Amino acid sequence: MAQELKAVPDESLVRRAQSDDDRAFGELIERYETKVYSLALKMLRNPEDAEDVLQDTFLRAYRGIKSFQGHSTFSTWIYRITANSALMKLRKKKLPTVSIDDADEREAPISIADWAPGPVEQLLNEETRQAMSEAIDALPAEFRQVFVLRDVEGLSNAEVAEILDLSVAAVKSRLHRARLKARNHLAHFFNDTRGRRTMGARS
Amino acid sequence: MMTCKEVLESISLYLDEDLKQDIVLEMQHHIGKCSDCRAEFDTLTMTLKLYRHDESPQMPAGCHDRLIKVLQIEKMREKQGDADPDPTKA
Repeated sequence: MAQELKAVPDESLVRRAQSDDDRAFGELIERYETKVYSLALKMLRNPEDAEDVLQDTFLRAYRGIKSFQGHSTFSTWIYRITANSALMKLRKKKLPTVSIDDADEREAPISIADWAPGPVEQLLNEETRQAMSEAIDALPAEFRQVFVLRDVEGLSNAEVAEILDLSVAAVKSRLHRARLKARNHLAHFFNDTRGRRTMGARS
Repeated sequence: MMTCKEVLESISLYLDEDLKQDIVLEMQHHIGKCSDCRAEFDTLTMTLKLYRHDESPQMPAGCHDRLIKVLQIEKMREKQGDADPDPTKA
């Protein structure tokens, strides 16, 4: 029975869920729970917080499905609820917020050339993953939302703009600053790692 | 000729292929000659590759079941609310 729903498009599932069809809502959960969890985890970097956001998101979706008018896709709508729920959690943690003019990334380190060449697989180990997480942690909440949606989840600028209710220009501007900040964080990490390795080789 | 500052400001748009062709050519020309801007370009490219290459996390065991439970509780509450809109007046 559940199998027959697999081929049903999101819009039809939404309409059925709006008429109290719990199986249809269940299928929407199956389709989107991993994406919602993944986005929440990448924004919050903590599995318990991510699970809270997952539950909060689908609870809000369940309560709000009847008033969902379909002006956007269900996917955009559920991402928007997730991003807002995660942002509220971040704000409770009193993460710093920034003005758009904040531009400390201009103090970019320049001696950063030699960690970049070579295949990505060579760099992507547990230590690097930890540094990548910390780089996201260090981003102010508003930059983090944009960076995670665009560069980690791989959505388009237009989709991110729709989800966050921003102009595409604002997305691009925040994204640019977030990328430089994340890159600078990784540059410090790779410089430190390389420094340690060099020192280790000398001793 | 673009300045380094202009190149840095446009580098994100360049990576997203969101620039006019003449600006792209100017940037390529600048990056070809300026090692600082090439380092900016290489490291930013690698940063994005690292994040895009990293796989999505799996949901922990039990996470789906706990979500369904939360929604079932909500549904029960909703039903009770329908049947008895103001329990204080019972």
